[in-house]
Order: sequence, then C-alpha cells, then structure tokens
Amino acid sequence: MKPLTGFELLRPSTLSGALELLATLELAWPIAGGTDLIPQFKDDGCESKHLVDLSLIRELNGIKMEDNFIVIGPMTTQTQVISSQLIEENAPALHEAVKLMGSPQIRNRATIGGNLCNASPAADTAPPLLVHDAEVKLTSLEDSRWIPLTDFFAEECTALEPNELMTSIRFPVVHGASSSFQRIGRRRGFTLSVLNLAVYIERDGKNLSEVKIAVGAVAPTPIMLEKVERELKGMRMDTNLLEHARKMVSEAVNPRDSARSSGEYKREMAGVLTKRALSAAWTRVGGKLP
Amino acid sequence: MIFELNGKNVGVEAKPTVTLLDLLRGELGVTSVKKGCEQGECGACTVLLDGDPVTSCLILAPQVEGRRVLTIEGLVDNPLVRELREAFLRNGAVQCGYCTPGMLLSGYALLRDNKRPSEEEVKTAIEGNICRCTGYVAIIESILDAAERIAPD
Repeated sequence: MKPLTGFELLRPSTLSGALELLATLELAWPIAGGTDLIPQFKDDGCESKHLVDLSLIRELNGIKMEDNFIVIGPMTTQTQVISSQLIEENAPALHEAVKLMGSPQIRNRATIGGNLCNASPAADTAPPLLVHDAEVKLTSLEDSRWIPLTDFFAEECTALEPNELMTSIRFPVVHGASSSFQRIGRRRGFTLSVLNLAVYIERDGKNLSEVKIAVGAVAPTPIMLEKVERELKGMRMDTNLLEHARKMVSEAVNPRDSARSSGEYKREMAGVLTKRALSAAWTRVGGKLP
Repeated sequence: MIFELNGKNVGVEAKPTVTLLDLLRGELGVTSVKKGCEQGECGACTVLLDGDPVTSCLILAPQVEGRRVLTIEGLVDNPLVRELREAFLRNGAVQCGYCTPGMLLSGYALLRDNKRPSEEEVKTAIEGNICRCTGYVAIIESILDAAERIAPD
C-alpha cells in the first residue's frame, strides 16, 4: 500500500465552479464518494494533481420525479437510493442492485454516478439502469448533452470528455412495467459481482409486451442482449418461455475466464439468472406462472 | 479546518493526503479507531459521520470540515451503547477486540434506527465489519440481546 501523495483537494460548491476547475487545472480529476478511487490511489498511486471533490454540489444530489421521468443526481449515495420509495416502486431492479452493493459504510459514501463513471464491467447499477432505458447528461463549461446509457460505456473508458461531468441520470416511468436484478457473488454480503443481470418487462395479459435484458461482467462493458429481447417480445409468459430465454441468453453471451470465475460458469449462470429475473419481474406485475 | 469530534469542536490542519483515520489516530489520539485493511473492506476504522457509519480510511481529512464525527469514545455514556457493551461482555463477543469499536458503532447505528431488528438485519448492519477471530455468532447474538433489553415490550 502506498501513502497518498501529490494531490490537492478542491471542494467547489457549485457545478460551474467544478467545471471551471476541471477545465483549467492541470491533471484535475473529479472524485465522488471515493470508495473506488481512494483504494486505487493507495494501490497504484494517484496521477492526478488536483482532485475536485463533487460532494458539496447540491444540484448533483437527490432523486425526483419530473415529467414522467425519474431523475437522479449522480452524487446521490447508494443509501439514498435504497431509501427512495420512488425507486423501489418504479425501478425495483435498481433498488435490489444497490441494496446488495458494498456494506452500510460503503453505501453511505458511494454514489450512483461514481459507480457508472468508474465503469467497471461488473458495476451493479449499470444493468438495471440500462434495462430501464436510462440516459445520462454530460456537461462541460460550453455544452450539455443527453446520451443513452448504452452509448456511455466503452472498453476501459466512457463517453466522458476530460472537461465533462455526468450531471444527471434519468429514465422514464412506465405503468405496468417492472424489473428485477440478480447477481452471483463469491459470498452473499459485501462482494463484487462475478456476474450480474437485470431484466425489464412490460406485461399485456399473458404476454410480454416488452423485454429488456442487460448483463454485466461478461464483456468489457455491461451489454444489452437485443437479439434475445426481440425474440422474447410479444411471447406468452410460461415455463417454456423461461427455458427458451435461459438457453438463448447462455448462447448470446461469451464471457472470458477471469480470476473470479470461468467463462463457462458465467455463461451457464447468465441463463439461470435470466430465468430468475423474468420470474421475479413477472410476479411483480401481477403475473402468475403455472 | 474545524469539525466536531465527539461533541467538541476541534481545529486541525487537514492535509488532503491524510485520511480521517490517520488524522484521528495520529494527530488527535483517538485510538479506538483501528487501522486494518485501509481499503474500506474491514470496518475496523468505522466512525459515525453525521450519524452514519463510514470507513474513515476512505475519507480525506478536509472532507469532514464542519461535520460531526463520533467514535466510540464519544458514546461512552450513551445508554444504548452501554447496553451493547454489556451484551458483548455477557455473550463473549470480544476475542482479540480489534473489530469491537467498529462492531459497536455499526450495532449502535442499527439499534438507534431500528429497535427490533431481525437477525438478517443485524447481519446486514455488520456486513462491513470483519471479525478475523470469526466470532460472528456471539456478536450477532449480542446485538439481538441488546435490542431485546432496550425494547419497550
């Protein structure tokens, strides 16, 4: 472990202040809850000379409903997400994912924007937000743009430009929809996901009128399984469909062997988690399984 | 920088490269806050920040400016902590003792907000505190025992 060294900490209280610092200072990096970055600095040292702490910027924190969208400030902590009824009711997959992340001590610091911007392939908030069709707002001093979360993740980086910050996350509220998050870890509490998966569905009687599936830790970025989604959309929900979905998802992912698991295990389990998630989401929208 | 430590305002020079853990132990002599993994994994350095459990090894000293930090020293006379302490003694929940201050703080934060936790809720509350003597059963029983004793029936 290395001593922390070589950086100043700046604590702007406004977004424009933070953007100004990022645009003008040499090697300036934003820092959110610090639960990923600080251990990383202790392991590898810190290349940044100026850490811009975003925790005092009020406009980046909080959860609200706006024009049928749930809007989440990226500096909202995981604890805040867990205690939000709005999230629990409208995006159960996100609620479940965040409840399983870290420990109370970590959830009190770690932020949803930090989890996305750190862009781990296994980030637990990514699959739920992907299936809920989330968009993120990226802001620089000059400009602001909304992009779909699917376009945010790239291999070992994100769509963020050096002078940009993620300043908002939003997704639509859809009646008659539900979602579920499932994961595999090496133990139940306080562990990184070996594999994670979220499913979003809309129900029309006995049929699935919409299906979204996102999987983490099977590729360099979290991915959506569009081909499987198209295949399942409109189909009647029953045990045959669950089995069909399991097979298709296992065939659709191609994870590599990693330190935490073999690729073969992940491929099998992606199918199993799909079944679990589809069943859970279906039950949530009042559906029954024979 | 000024912050509130165990009910008293303290003024210190807070370097950005010093963690709250090192500030507390090194400069302020608060030695109940233990240095374990320094990665936020073990919970030995747990403190309450504005009432919420956090790992002080992941917080940079200047980040607590104007905020309330509580360690177990600041809760010596707290009735709930007294119940917890006695339950830990009664149930043999202290072996080497290294995790104990963090366990007590996590247990305290739980019982303060939830007077009758289930065993599952106790486990979740201490999932960020590692006991390397693996004395978890006695610790969980102690927190449930303390809850039982403070419960208004």
